[in-house]
Amino acid sequence: MTLYLALVAAAAFVISVLLLRAGDEESEDRAVSGTHSGNRFGPVNGLQPAELASRIFSQKDREFILLMRSSRLQRLYLEERRKVALHWVRRISREVSQIMRNHRLRSRQSSNLNVTVEMKLFFLYLELRFLCGMLLLLIQLFGPHALLNLAARTGELYQQIGRALSEVGAVNRTASPGNIAAS
Amino acid sequence: MLTMAIWCVGTLAEVLVLVRGFQAKLFRRFPIFYAYLLFVNLDEFARFFVYRWHTSYYFQVYWVTQFFSLAIGSAIILEIYQVALRSYPGAAKMARYLLLVVFGAILIKALTVPSESVITWVAATSLVLERNLRIVQALAILTLVSLFFWYAIPFGRNLKGILGGYSLFIGISIIQITLLYHSWDLIKPFWTYAPSLSYLLVLGIWARTLWSSQPVPEARADIRLESDYELLVASTRDQFRRAVARLGWGVRA
Repeated sequence: MTLYLALVAAAAFVISVLLLRAGDEESEDRAVSGTHSGNRFGPVNGLQPAELASRIFSQKDREFILLMRSSRLQRLYLEERRKVALHWVRRISREVSQIMRNHRLRSRQSSNLNVTVEMKLFFLYLELRFLCGMLLLLIQLFGPHALLNLAARTGELYQQIGRALSEVGAVNRTASPGNIAAS
Repeated sequence: MLTMAIWCVGTLAEVLVLVRGFQAKLFRRFPIFYAYLLFVNLDEFARFFVYRWHTSYYFQVYWVTQFFSLAIGSAIILEIYQVALRSYPGAAKMARYLLLVVFGAILIKALTVPSESVITWVAATSLVLERNLRIVQALAILTLVSLFFWYAIPFGRNLKGILGGYSLFIGISIIQITLLYHSWDLIKPFWTYAPSLSYLLVLGIWARTLWSSQPVPEARADIRLESDYELLVASTRDQFRRAVARLGWGVRA
């Protein structure tokens, strides 16, 4: 029992630290960069989001720098690329928070709110934030190129979110007004 | 003498909060809270007179009135829920489910203990029973407060005061009863004054926040139709999908 409680407490602590860390760094990031995303998912500095990500984490750039055979250049490159990658992940983390915030500010007034879907959304949100925290940690520890292992998990998560949220359409279509009032 | 002085100040503070509540017409908005405060106030006088002139009945009177006070106190939590979430049916629905889960978990926990433990629990001192009921109240408040923060529910100064003061009162009660039960020797020197002084603190919060009626900020009606919720979920799904896709791009690159 004590071991179980200790494990739960440790897990809660790690998650909280990661979330808080992501949050703190987000605010620092915002303050330092002073950038404003404007259109949340739109082009950034003329680059499409996907294109931007592939450029930030590009293996080609690293290979090119390696060809220069300069340790100083490699170090500078890794430092700069790490900063850019961290900024990028923090920004996504911030956007995810904003999406969830907008969702709950609007859903709180909905009389036909679906508790199951909301709970699923909440846990997926937590998972996403946790992934962002893990990405930040990995980038800080191993650099921006050590992230391939997380690719499969994010792909799965993407599928889960699609499935969880598409359920609500079916549920709401089948629910009669009487059922909604009774619930 | 000091104990008597603290008792008098506390009773006067209760009367003050009650009078201000009637003057500011707050009792119409929070009838259960003011009924509770009135009950506690009258109860204090009743206990005082019984203690002074019918000491042999004091124990019975104390526990009977204490459990009435606990029952009305629980209704305050219901009032907080009703007042705070009146304009937020979605958040209210979520609160009902979460409270159901919390109370269900407590019930299951109580039923799954061995039978002799249940008997022991029921037969346990009134003090432990009171502490357990206070813990249930605390869990209900914790659930509600978490939900209020999650959905960014605007309280208004008055409701915030009631919620803050009552939460503090419950928290202090749990600590006091636990200490009283387990470490009586340790707290004996402070016991005469500690409960009364902490209750004065709670009354101070109520007097300050319930001095005048403050409007509760109204929420903008963003969502009206049933289809709006579906659209909202679809929109959130779409935005999440884009965010995850970007994250996926990053790690795949």
